[in-house]
Amino acid sequence: MSLFDALSVSASGMSAQRTRAELLTENLANAETTRTPEGGPYRRKDAVFATDYGVSPFASVFEAQTGDGAGGGLAGVGVADITVDNREPERRYQPGHPDADAEGYVAFPRINPAEDMVDLMGAARGYEANVAAVAAVKDMIQHSIDLFH
Amino acid sequence: MSFPLTLISQAPAIAPEPIAPEPIALDSTSTPEGTFHGVMESAIQGVTSSQNASSQATERFLAGEGGDLHTTILAAQRATLSFDLFLQVRNKVVSAYQEIMRMQV
Amino acid sequence: MLDGLASHIEHYMDLLSVRQKLVASNIANADTPGYKTRDIDFQQEFQSAIGNEPPAVIEAPGLKIKNDGNNVSMDRESRLLAENALRFQVATELMRSEIQTLRSAIQEGSGS
Repeated sequence: MSLFDALSVSASGMSAQRTRAELLTENLANAETTRTPEGGPYRRKDAVFATDYGVSPFASVFEAQTGDGAGGGLAGVGVADITVDNREPERRYQPGHPDADAEGYVAFPRINPAEDMVDLMGAARGYEANVAAVAAVKDMIQHSIDLFH
Repeated sequence: MSFPLTLISQAPAIAPEPIAPEPIALDSTSTPEGTFHGVMESAIQGVTSSQNASSQATERFLAGEGGDLHTTILAAQRATLSFDLFLQVRNKVVSAYQEIMRMQV
Repeated sequence: MLDGLASHIEHYMDLLSVRQKLVASNIANADTPGYKTRDIDFQQEFQSAIGNEPPAVIEAPGLKIKNDGNNVSMDRESRLLAENALRFQVATELMRSEIQTLRSAIQEGSGS
């Protein structure tokens, strides 16, 4: 039940949102990448968030284990998986393009930049919210310490 | 005039017997609560128990388990206040004792 | 020492801490699919005042569920974040005042 645990939870939130932001930035930067070391066009990546109950080194084992509901345990967050979009890439007709196939089609990544841009803003907002939580909790801890005086 | 003599002859019968001082037991189980010793004893126990509670809370905080920071701090404050009170009471008692000892009998 | 009012203030601070931890969890999981906002029934927990059990964590009622099953409202969590912090600050000041009063009472008796 310690406030320090809340700091770990918020830190996990910041971490997860940052990972998500990094992936989205990568998507945006590679929206037109037709050539990758693995072969083929760039494939969109996304982060899958999942609740992580083991985030705090401060938490007692008991608290971490009675995580869901009963003990009010620490519901931090983690990136459970990074999914790669395995759909068929988008094919555009550009016969002059160096990566064009025999019929003149080039395989482009399936990325909608507008969508990823909005998601990126969402990740930034989520990150900021976690930063605000850290500040608020830090204040509370500071006020607790003032009880000494 | 014979009246005083009658009283004097009856004197041994009505003279009060000297009262033996009550022995002060050193273990708390046999000390009656109302006595000074009993009061000091329970005060000491109070201070000790709040000191223990504070030590335990601090240990738990250091080990990283249980309790918020404010719980730990308040336990420490309780121990400090208990001890301060005990100290003041003791000082009062000591100075009262000294004053009594200074009295002319 | 510090019973009565002071122990109620301490209980209040305990509950605020738990609540703030849940708010932090909700904010961290604002984008987690399927996550449901968690809270405690503050009023009820404070009234029942049985200090030593941890308060019961419940699902916050009345929140809109988004497409991915998540129902965290950032507005609600931001508001609670600020409110809990301020209430905690007030409680701290009240507690300090109690401690100070007690300390003065103890020390008034000295030096006479």
